[in-house]
Amino acid sequence: MGVRKDGRQEGWKAFLRERLPLESVDSHLRKPLPKHINLLFSLGSLAMFLLLLQAATGAFLAFYYSPSPEHAHNAVTYISEEVPFGAFVRGLHHWGASAMVIIVVLHLLRVVLYSSYKAPRELTWIFGVLLLLIVLGFGFTGYLLPWDEKAYWATVVGVEIASTAPGLGDFVAKVMRGGSEIGAVTLSRFYALHTIWLPWLAFGLVGVHLFFVRYYGSSGTPKNTPEEMKTGKPFYPHQVFEDLVGMLILFVILAAVALFVPVPLEDVADPTNADYDPRPEWYFLFLFQLLKYFQGPFEILGTFVIPTVGMLLLLFLPFIDRSERAVLWKRPIALTVTSVCVVGIVVLTILGGTSKKLETTDAAAQETSQPTEQIQTETVEEGEAVFDFQLTEEEIEGAKAVDELQ
Amino acid sequence: MEKKGRRSFLEITTAFIGGVLSLAAGIPLIGFAISPAFKKGESKWVDLGLADRLKNSRFKKVDYTFTAKDGWVKATKKRSVYVTDAGNGEWRVFSRICSHLGCLVRWDESKESFLCPCHGAIFDKTGAVVAGPPPEPLQKLETKVEAGILYVKET
Repeated sequence: MGVRKDGRQEGWKAFLRERLPLESVDSHLRKPLPKHINLLFSLGSLAMFLLLLQAATGAFLAFYYSPSPEHAHNAVTYISEEVPFGAFVRGLHHWGASAMVIIVVLHLLRVVLYSSYKAPRELTWIFGVLLLLIVLGFGFTGYLLPWDEKAYWATVVGVEIASTAPGLGDFVAKVMRGGSEIGAVTLSRFYALHTIWLPWLAFGLVGVHLFFVRYYGSSGTPKNTPEEMKTGKPFYPHQVFEDLVGMLILFVILAAVALFVPVPLEDVADPTNADYDPRPEWYFLFLFQLLKYFQGPFEILGTFVIPTVGMLLLLFLPFIDRSERAVLWKRPIALTVTSVCVVGIVVLTILGGTSKKLETTDAAAQETSQPTEQIQTETVEEGEAVFDFQLTEEEIEGAKAVDELQ
Repeated sequence: MEKKGRRSFLEITTAFIGGVLSLAAGIPLIGFAISPAFKKGESKWVDLGLADRLKNSRFKKVDYTFTAKDGWVKATKKRSVYVTDAGNGEWRVFSRICSHLGCLVRWDESKESFLCPCHGAIFDKTGAVVAGPPPEPLQKLETKVEAGILYVKET
């Protein structure tokens, strides 16, 4: 590296160093972590990696996707069957969404395990819970986009759940749908939310969350003494290396699943198909199952009260749990509540996933002697007869003319 | 003292201008987004077919279509109902939309009930809730017969 006549150093590194606070960034990156941390502390980085992967695969999927009821299903079929690497990219995005939910929940449980949400990290926790809501929002808005049966019916149920909220419920549901029923406006709204609003919100919240993580420093495990909080390995390159290995392993698993497990795409959405048994994505199955237990006037408990109160308790957990910082098994109340919640959600998910499909007997299906002169159609959908007796405009006019003559 | 007064004037004015800008841009944007919630749907009569052909003491599942505006699209909407006549000119046409969370119910002839495939709701043949979560009965559609044609009111 040479020195110029005016005494300034040459080279691109020197150029940048003169203009940017690189030393400060470098010392920040090499800041030591607490002495006692483990692999669980990579879960946040893995969630960040998945968010970037979802953003990248989603941005590429948008090249071929069209958010209209006429074209959405065909576009997704085209991506999966005709675009080179289309099935793989869609697979990464689809299975990546499930991986995201798993990793974010594990990250949350790690924070609960080591009570990392305690002072002064309450705000880090709150922004993390908001990010969990954003992830669920991504899932909910995302699975309408293929416009298949699952997409349509899961969204019908999801929006109806919102409509049960007291006071503004019906209004909120109409805003979500863009009207009184799911259709073209809903699809375009969900697409805008999924690809513009939620990503902006997510990256904004991640920015604040990461700022707090760096500002307060890693919480480490409760085993760390105050001296040990700043005597561990540096964030870069040690922790970054571990995080990257984790990301590589996660990507290999996701890529293998994307390659070998085809992403389901059901028939195009049909608002009259009653032979379809609607089931949500696996991460909403617990809520689906929970709704069965609250009947009549108690419906609102399952649709609104329990989810809202549960989320508020989670959001303000640092202000509710005022015990001393310790690992979870040394906090009996927290251990009990966490165990009940986790076991409850797992059991409800299993019950929801294994609930039997509805079987009905329909006498009309066995009828064979329909009027032979009828010009209308009768079809049989999986055992149930469907009649379409509607008249053409000419037939209606003809019937009215005959009626007037009489 | 004079400097302090000037500073507080600037602070207040800055906040005021910021507020005006936020409201001037925010109100139309929010109105733009939520406007569909205030649109009133138009109700119309839709024909199901000749009443004679729909006469049946048991429930028939009848599909029908009609055109309606869906945002910028003039869409063909599909609907499905269960139809039966009580024999004295009275028609019972039930929407198949479960009053719980919107799944489509199915008629089970042996149980003489409408069953919902989602959360286990059961309605009897009058549409009343027998079991399960729904707080309300099945929606009974308004009907009329004109020139021998059965119509339902689509809202």
